[in-house]
Amino acid sequence: MPEITLDGLVKAYGGTRAADGLSLTVRNGEYLCILGPTGSGKTTCLRMICGLAVPDEGKVLFDGRDVTREPVSRRKAAMLSQVYSLFPSKTVYENVMFSPQTQEWPEDDAKQIVKSMIKMVHMEGKAHSYPRELSGGQQQRTALARALASDSDVLLLDEPLRALDARLRLELRKELRSMVKEMGLTSIHVTHDQDEALEMADRIAVIRKGRIVQVGTPMDVFKNPLTPFVANFVGRSNIFVGKMGRSFESHSEVMISSKECQFTVRARRTDIQEGSDVVVAVKIGSTKLEKVQPDAVEEKEGYVSGRVERVLYEGATITVEIETPAGLVSAKLPNRKFEDHVADDVVSIWWLPEAASVFRVPPEGLEDELRLD
Amino acid sequence: MSLLKKINDLSDSGRSRRAWFGLVCMVFLVLIIIPSIFVVFKMFSDWSSVNDVIADGAMMDTIKGALANSFSIAFIVTIVDILVGIPMAWMLVRKQFRGKRYLDTLMDMPLAFPTAVLGISVVMFWGAPEGIDIPGLGLNISPYLMLVLLHFIFTYPYMVRSLSAILEQIEPNYETAAMTLSASRFTAVRTITLPLFRAGLVTGFILCFARSLSETGGTYIALKMMGVQSSFFTGPTFINDAKSLFGADAAMGPMILISVLMILLALALLIVARFMMVRLKIPVSRVWPQIGRKLSRGTVPKVKDVLSIAFLVLIVLIPSFYIFAFLTQPMADVDYGALLHSIGVSFLVAGAAVVFDIVFGIPMALYIARNRRTFLGKVLDEAVNVPLIIPTTALGFSLALFWGMFYGGGSAAVFTAMVILGHISFTYPLVVRNIIGAVEEVDASYEEVAMTLGAKPFQAFSKVLVPIIKSSIIAGAILSFTRSLGETGATTSISGSVKTVPVYIMDLVNRNSYAEAAMCSIILIVICFVLIFAVRMMMNRGERSA
Amino acid sequence: MKIHLDNVSMKFGDFYAAKDVNISIPKGEYLTILGPSGCGKTTLIKMISGILRPTEGRILVDGEDVTDIPLEDRDTGYVFQNIALFPNMTVADNVGYSPRVRDMAKDETEATSEDYLKLVKMLDRAGTLPHELSGGEQQKVAIARALASGSKLLMLDEPLSALDARVRVELRYDIRRLVKKLGVTVLHVTHDQEEAMSVSDRIILMRAGRIVEIGTPLDIYRNPGSIFAAYFIGETNLLECTVSGKTKTGKTVVRLRGGQMVRAAKSCLSEGDAAVISVRPENVYVARDGLKAEVTEVVFMGTYWRVRTVAETNDYLEYNISSSDETPKIGEKVHLVFNKKATMVFPRPEKGLEEAIELE
Repeated sequence: MPEITLDGLVKAYGGTRAADGLSLTVRNGEYLCILGPTGSGKTTCLRMICGLAVPDEGKVLFDGRDVTREPVSRRKAAMLSQVYSLFPSKTVYENVMFSPQTQEWPEDDAKQIVKSMIKMVHMEGKAHSYPRELSGGQQQRTALARALASDSDVLLLDEPLRALDARLRLELRKELRSMVKEMGLTSIHVTHDQDEALEMADRIAVIRKGRIVQVGTPMDVFKNPLTPFVANFVGRSNIFVGKMGRSFESHSEVMISSKECQFTVRARRTDIQEGSDVVVAVKIGSTKLEKVQPDAVEEKEGYVSGRVERVLYEGATITVEIETPAGLVSAKLPNRKFEDHVADDVVSIWWLPEAASVFRVPPEGLEDELRLD
Repeated sequence: MSLLKKINDLSDSGRSRRAWFGLVCMVFLVLIIIPSIFVVFKMFSDWSSVNDVIADGAMMDTIKGALANSFSIAFIVTIVDILVGIPMAWMLVRKQFRGKRYLDTLMDMPLAFPTAVLGISVVMFWGAPEGIDIPGLGLNISPYLMLVLLHFIFTYPYMVRSLSAILEQIEPNYETAAMTLSASRFTAVRTITLPLFRAGLVTGFILCFARSLSETGGTYIALKMMGVQSSFFTGPTFINDAKSLFGADAAMGPMILISVLMILLALALLIVARFMMVRLKIPVSRVWPQIGRKLSRGTVPKVKDVLSIAFLVLIVLIPSFYIFAFLTQPMADVDYGALLHSIGVSFLVAGAAVVFDIVFGIPMALYIARNRRTFLGKVLDEAVNVPLIIPTTALGFSLALFWGMFYGGGSAAVFTAMVILGHISFTYPLVVRNIIGAVEEVDASYEEVAMTLGAKPFQAFSKVLVPIIKSSIIAGAILSFTRSLGETGATTSISGSVKTVPVYIMDLVNRNSYAEAAMCSIILIVICFVLIFAVRMMMNRGERSA
Repeated sequence: MKIHLDNVSMKFGDFYAAKDVNISIPKGEYLTILGPSGCGKTTLIKMISGILRPTEGRILVDGEDVTDIPLEDRDTGYVFQNIALFPNMTVADNVGYSPRVRDMAKDETEATSEDYLKLVKMLDRAGTLPHELSGGEQQKVAIARALASGSKLLMLDEPLSALDARVRVELRYDIRRLVKKLGVTVLHVTHDQEEAMSVSDRIILMRAGRIVEIGTPLDIYRNPGSIFAAYFIGETNLLECTVSGKTKTGKTVVRLRGGQMVRAAKSCLSEGDAAVISVRPENVYVARDGLKAEVTEVVFMGTYWRVRTVAETNDYLEYNISSSDETPKIGEKVHLVFNKKATMVFPRPEKGLEEAIELE
């Protein structure tokens, strides 16, 4: 299975650059998720890998071999599209048979492979049904079988779960990944859903405006974001703007000032110079709350306190929304804490310093940086 | 088999794909576009003969009168078509009712009738032509009004079809959304759906206008049956009759002039219509909630539905089928030899044209559908419309002049070939338009996925796309086959010696053999229906087994 | 606006898209109708808004029978899944559409439009056309348009399904905040249980045209009334077992497939009954002793790790550990215990477990 290298890809459609100096290496046999909002250029990236789009600049390499201009049919990179694109006039069996037949494999081999693929995706019972007779999940599995039966080395998955119901999506994440992993293909999965990427990927590449912003393991991308965008896109974050304060061995301090008050928060160590304008991002799941008793003279533990606006029971977790002088702050807590918080409580907010990332204020402004779509 | 493999392999190279597409464009340009408008160049090279005509006051008056008749009839017919077509398209697309399928089929029936036949049938129904014993309504209608009534029949289905095609693409949720916001249905339609409808209106307008402008056979027959064929002209009947009225040489100047004028006016119209599409604003700023509500409920919508069905039945269907009244008469003698010969010629011409259309039309349609945004895509998209808007009689005349340069005298085979080329010109856009519509409905991802699975581009096309759009290809083929079968003007203006069925029927009418003409018409219609029915059956069976 | 549905059914041909629905919705409630595709949830709100007329039953709004009142006189705001902003009008004109078709004065129309755009923070885009906006922005405008009709009842038909996951999360909190501020009664249709949990006062769970369960998110999550509800709302481990008795305090004791005994919550089943227990991953803990299981996969989920195991009973069992804790290795043997209060017992379905939790 090849290692895929994208080297400085540029692709413009009309005035917009769908790829703008995109570079990325996908390791042999790896399951890589390209994660980004709609319009960030993820699909274009996939199309350049399989040859459906030719980059204006840059190169696509398979195991070091330049394939930038090689025809689609010779790249052995099968695509699983988000609408599945099962051929409507063919049965499940004939759909899976499509690739072996067009490539004129010996009939017995072809039959055997097709049968084993159909079995693997649990579609034996529906082999002679037409796509329109299948449910969404069954169509998705058929499309997977068809892609896997093509003897491709690379599997490209273009938002393969988007069209399915939320609950079904959860089930299919596990199933899809394990089937693909079993085949050992180099797989590139494009998605806008960070939970999906976290759960499925070996590594995640976060893409934005036609460029890869960060590549790393799910944990790395989640815990050590390189930009405020990544911090807020891969898991919600509370964002504060302030001025860099002193730095210590174990942590640093940032002064947050709003119209009504000023307070100091702790964050992880950085090299950013004291006095610079910075952004602090803390995952809502790492944001901790301490209830302030009404008769307490002074809040101690937290960085800032606020009034609980509402508590939402969301299943395994609860979300507490708190009105603070620095704006709305959310905290995601385990559901056993549900009884601890009620609306109109006053709570003090804090977090572990290493849970807070610090960034310089981006040149285009924070609002543009944090835009989700 | 090895040829197929060769094509598959060739299709993998971008260069050979471009070469093939270049050929398709060349064919389109050389065989279709240039001959169609050649007469315009001819006018300048042969200016003296035209100049003579311009000096001839009486002749100019006749030409002006013919043009005025043609364009005003086309205009009136199209406007009325829009007015009665919108409610009908609405009913067919948005409403569910029993018998909808039959209404849908009835709608298309007049398209299978050669217009020459419609000419006979309509005059029989409304008037009381001499030499026919079957009683009609016997109204004393002016030739002008009679032509308007006749032209409704073959333009109306085009209008309803193009309106419903657009209506189907308009999200029905827009109307529902407007109604949840307290707009009555009438207001919702007027302020939301109609403004989105513009594109459909313009397409329908162009199609109907061009169809009415082109029509020769039925028009000529209607005028002949009313006995005014040499005093009342439309553009096409003038070209059709000029040679016999003025003699071959004297007719040349007037024919060139009127052809050029018709072509230029029609093209100007195409451009204006496109321009209008962008500019046309349907006033939406005022609302009258009370009136809107009254118009949306109770009797008004019902009356509207009843009226549009009544129009279809009384103005379109009954007059078309009235020719079958001849079956109540004793059988007329039919010269079966001549009839069969003309049917053979018709089928040869129509068949050859359809095959050509499909071979060269599909690649063109594919390119246009998939490259809508590129410059070449836009240009081709417009260029394909050109032969559609040019009146077929003028087109045929132009074509005859063009090919006449190469084959002066010409044998029967050459004339037949020229007629085929003529028929290709005006059927090609029909096929291309139909397939563009179908391809645009199909997500490009089908072919793309097929290619990532190792299929060559030609395999992706033939094994994946074709099965999906097969029914549209066949529908386009039927449409252009019947259109070719019914065409008179283009045939006669290319050569008087190629006797297709409509031309043969026209000859019979000229000889006042109405009964025989009617019998031939009925035989032709029956053959057409059987054919269409057989193709549809085959398609259905194919789909069921697939 | 108070709504009451009285035995409402909708039949298409021979097929019931909704059958015998009875619900009462108090004023100002945020009610979510949740269920898999094709369960009849959209049909239900289409009937309440008047887009469809129910084939049986009555719909009452504030005590008045509105079953036969046409759509345009119902006065309900409706937000569509595919957004359906009028493409030929600017954002401001879209929002001002309802005041305009009611023949309000021009300046009044404009003022209303402005007010509601401000409410969804889209005033700065008032002059743009819908296609120039991102999906999330379009949906905000669509909500403003629905609210600008002055309606006190808002229908949201899968309003977030067409949007990116991250935008979805952001917008659902915004929507809830907004409608609560305005005191509007909301009916929100979705197939996404996470979304339903985080916005609703109450959830109606539907399956195959019928209401399975009604309750607050807390109720349904903690005390689901059926296996389907337990499985559909939140993730859960389902283990087949047999009831072997009760403890003194009334807890149920069950025997798993491998013969292991597990204590679970109270139930009305008696000894010998075939049962299924449902325990959510966050209620499964690692202990010194307990059900033996082998770790097959450890997945980072952001705030926690999800550990997947195969238990000695051959059941799949999943549990969570905090993201700061040390993770077990693949192949490692662990002992698992369940929080017995949070372990629900259900009678084992006759047609089997698979059918009971089928999603499509």
